[in-house]
Amino acid sequence: MLVADRAPRRVGAWRLRSELFADRHFKHVLLLPALLFLLVLGTLPVVYNLVLSFQDVTMQAENHAFSGLLNYRRLAGDARFWGAWQHTFLITGIALPIQLVLGLALAAFFLGDVPGKRIFIALLVLPTVISPIVAGASWRLMFDNQFGPVNHMIGWFTSSPPLILWTTDPAFVYPAIIILEVWAHTPFVFLLLLAALTQIDRGVLDAAEIDGASAWTKFRRVMLPAIRPVLMTVVLIRFVDLMRLFDFVYALTQGGPGTRSETISLYTYVLGFQQFATSYTGAVAFVSIAFMSVVLLVMLRRAAIGR
Amino acid sequence: MKLRSYVCALTLVVMAAAAMAQTPNAGQRALEEAKKYSGQTLNITWPAGVGALDAKAYTVPIWEKATGVKVNVIETPIADMFAKVTAEHRARTGAFDVVSIVPSWLADMAIAGVIEPLDPFVKKFGFAQELQGLEPAYRDNQMRWDGKIYGIPDDGDLLVLYYRKDLFADPANRSEFRAKYGYDLAPPKTWEQFADIGNFFTAKFAPNIYGAGMIRRGTLLQYFFQERFRNAGGRYFDPQAMKATVNGDIGLKVLTGMMNDQKFMPPGSQDWGIPESLNGWLSGKLAMTLWWPPVGRWSEGLQAGEKSMAFVPKSQIAGKVGYALPPGGRPELALGWSLAVASTSKKKELAYLFIQFVNSEQTSIHRVQLPYSLRDPFRASHYTSPEYRKLWPTAGDYLDILKQGANTGLIDLSIRNTFQYEEALARALQRASAGENPKTCLDDLAREWDAITERTGVKEQREAYRVWASNPNAYPH
Amino acid sequence: MSSVRERRRRKARMDAVRFVAALAITVVFLFPVYWLFMTAFKSPEEIFSNPPTWFPSRIHWVNFRDLAEDGDLRSIWNSVVIASVSTVLAMLLGTMAAYSLARFRTGGEKLAVWAISVRMVPPIVLAFPLFLMFASLGLVDTYEALIAIYVTINLPYVIWMMRGFIEDIPRELEDSALIDGCSRWQALVRVVFPMARTGLVATAVFAFVYAFNEFAFAIVMTRLEVVTFPVQITHHFQPMSTFWGRIGAMSIFGCLPVFFMIIAMNRFLVRGLSGGALKG
Repeated sequence: MLVADRAPRRVGAWRLRSELFADRHFKHVLLLPALLFLLVLGTLPVVYNLVLSFQDVTMQAENHAFSGLLNYRRLAGDARFWGAWQHTFLITGIALPIQLVLGLALAAFFLGDVPGKRIFIALLVLPTVISPIVAGASWRLMFDNQFGPVNHMIGWFTSSPPLILWTTDPAFVYPAIIILEVWAHTPFVFLLLLAALTQIDRGVLDAAEIDGASAWTKFRRVMLPAIRPVLMTVVLIRFVDLMRLFDFVYALTQGGPGTRSETISLYTYVLGFQQFATSYTGAVAFVSIAFMSVVLLVMLRRAAIGR
Repeated sequence: MKLRSYVCALTLVVMAAAAMAQTPNAGQRALEEAKKYSGQTLNITWPAGVGALDAKAYTVPIWEKATGVKVNVIETPIADMFAKVTAEHRARTGAFDVVSIVPSWLADMAIAGVIEPLDPFVKKFGFAQELQGLEPAYRDNQMRWDGKIYGIPDDGDLLVLYYRKDLFADPANRSEFRAKYGYDLAPPKTWEQFADIGNFFTAKFAPNIYGAGMIRRGTLLQYFFQERFRNAGGRYFDPQAMKATVNGDIGLKVLTGMMNDQKFMPPGSQDWGIPESLNGWLSGKLAMTLWWPPVGRWSEGLQAGEKSMAFVPKSQIAGKVGYALPPGGRPELALGWSLAVASTSKKKELAYLFIQFVNSEQTSIHRVQLPYSLRDPFRASHYTSPEYRKLWPTAGDYLDILKQGANTGLIDLSIRNTFQYEEALARALQRASAGENPKTCLDDLAREWDAITERTGVKEQREAYRVWASNPNAYPH
Repeated sequence: MSSVRERRRRKARMDAVRFVAALAITVVFLFPVYWLFMTAFKSPEEIFSNPPTWFPSRIHWVNFRDLAEDGDLRSIWNSVVIASVSTVLAMLLGTMAAYSLARFRTGGEKLAVWAISVRMVPPIVLAFPLFLMFASLGLVDTYEALIAIYVTINLPYVIWMMRGFIEDIPRELEDSALIDGCSRWQALVRVVFPMARTGLVATAVFAFVYAFNEFAFAIVMTRLEVVTFPVQITHHFQPMSTFWGRIGAMSIFGCLPVFFMIIAMNRFLVRGLSGGALKG
């Protein structure tokens, strides 16, 4: 849908042709630099990993000979791999909706007149700003069953501080990770949705008010749809980042006890960084990316249906 | 007759002269030889943080002044050391010259060609005699692979049993204990005694004092198992079939024992990592603990004024600490550090000279006594050093136990893909700690170990295991 | 009129209620941050005390003084430089690409998904090939290497976010600008950028935060010269020596760049220019 179509008829044929030319190249010129970066520094390494995954490079030997499906066969039978995916999906499935709802609620709240809004917003973004490594270690201290404030604060409501081992008890490791994750990234959702809500054209909102809509209806029927693109993108980005969750799990539980809370990122780290099973890591990585891409496409298709 | 005594005397004189000519001053020699490289730069990796201080604050300034060779200390977090050294090797960058490695990595790194054999250099610069001065356990077990020297041990790590002398000497405790258990209260010689003593103190003094507490979380836990398992007579593998035997009766007994010990340990101590266990001990909450050598020094508050050691909790138990070998008498020589030369380094000789200087008698004796040092005695001369023995009243006993422990100690498992086995072991222990059936955990572990062996190559691993098991300090004899 | 006064009183009450609510929310969210910063001032005995020490007995300023030594401050500076440059580049290239995708649907959905797939890859997996690549160019342990990498990882995020924000802007505005004789570039710069200001700021904040706090690539790509803030902090996290004092002090400093950034950019988050644009 070129603008030239809607331009007034006084535009001559020459101008039309050159505008068409500019259009066609404009959109590509815009895209090219980003494309280059992504291709060279993003996709090339992935391809390299793919190639590696068909070889047999291990800690002991850099065997670059073609080894067929050796690594993929191992992957199929690797219970730890599939377990890691389960854990990752579990954490994502719980943390994402919570972050979303909380972030949206905060954004709606701070849309209105709040004295000292600026300071509050700047402060509330801090959880996302703190380095994940530091946040993880600090929360581990907080979750400590003897020295940490969490158990003690729970003890204000119960008769005495409970002895909850947040980071080693299988029943509590997931809540611990999810609490930390929600705490750390709700501000991300909050700020971006606030930006989107702020950007909504005033005219649209005024029209809704004239129609006598209540605040809640206004929110649901007018504002949410208006920020749909950003909302969907925030969900998408959080989804992708949650799939890659590493720092918090590493700091709190290191995937323990055993592999109870091991995410796919953590398993990849163990394989690639500690064991230097380079080729196998390539296979794990490739299957992971393929897997996530499929899930993503499915999600997008369903979201697009509503577009 | 006269001829014979004449020959004897002559021989003696010649020997004395030779000995004098070879008077160990390898450190000085290294400095001299390195002078011809003046103006160049050496890159060394060292454990990050406090661990890097003995290089940055002590060794490197002396070296730079004497030789004119600049040294870049590349502080590397311990968790990333293996990966960084191997990655730089794989990329053939030559970015590192001297690398710090953990002795149990030696097999993997030597096989992968990451580090350089050092025998030619040792010969050229006459280090052999001072190498003999290394405590036998470290010298004979951690230095060589396949007959060649790959890493020079630079840290005498082992697990020591620390106990509260005052509690053990208290007459009331002694008589009550004797009445209850039928033998005298003394540092435990077996793990059954350990449990007795632990239960006794906890029953009597909890919640102020508990029988014992130690590290129970994370990957370090597997060293405690390795020690206890082998002291009980356990073997990791059947050397012929190369199948894991950790899940036999001994393994089960040891694991169950470890889990049962938890009963008299402070509540919530299943969660204990290094900072918590350190704090538990130094605050006086425990009657016994198992830890590395630095705790001996920290218990006496030796690091108190040192700004860089401000993370160590204040010791409430100075003067009350006794030292003993862990139950079974054969402590795990857990972790430790060795110095090696990267095979892709372009300055191998210079790198070696730095190692020789750092590790020499003259330099190392000072390094292990620095208040901020994390390096523990590893040379025969360290244990007998009059200076060190005077650092605090019972320093002599401390050093004696360290020496004894080094001699009877057991080295970490070191075969192909050691990380994978250790990691699997740590996970199995964590699962048991979380309440799963010990037998299941061990059976799963054995299965995992066998799978790793399959992937590594049974034949190669059998050979690597044979080499490791033939070390004098691999298994108790 | 009394109704005006009534309305004003009601508003004041609402404001007070909102303020208290905002305060409560902030306290809950910031308690862990408070705990972290307090830990920086506690002695080891206070850190491991039962019951927990809610407020340290003494403020140990020495930890801040020590930041200047040992390369702690320098690592913060390195991170600021790398994060700033890579964020500016990523925002520039990413927004341009986002415009292309939003208005022209260039490459369709497939291109967009491919872009995001780069962010899906666990960093460890990308780190090693990139390390090999940069090592062969002799660019390990340089600013350029990390800047390039962070631009790459932030691009998918920027592209997707800005695409969303741009799609929120009605096309009519650019179209009328074009009819008025603007070139496409002018339309982009003069119409779209200002309208998307809020989105630009919000997106940039997190792109910066990501580049500032990123660890996996940094640990592989740095040795000595360009050690970044997260890598330097792990030096104080060693098994035998967790130096909470230094960690806390460094963290406080590490928060400052972004904190000030947000305060400065805050006016963009307030409703502004978008009002009235359609009225003409």
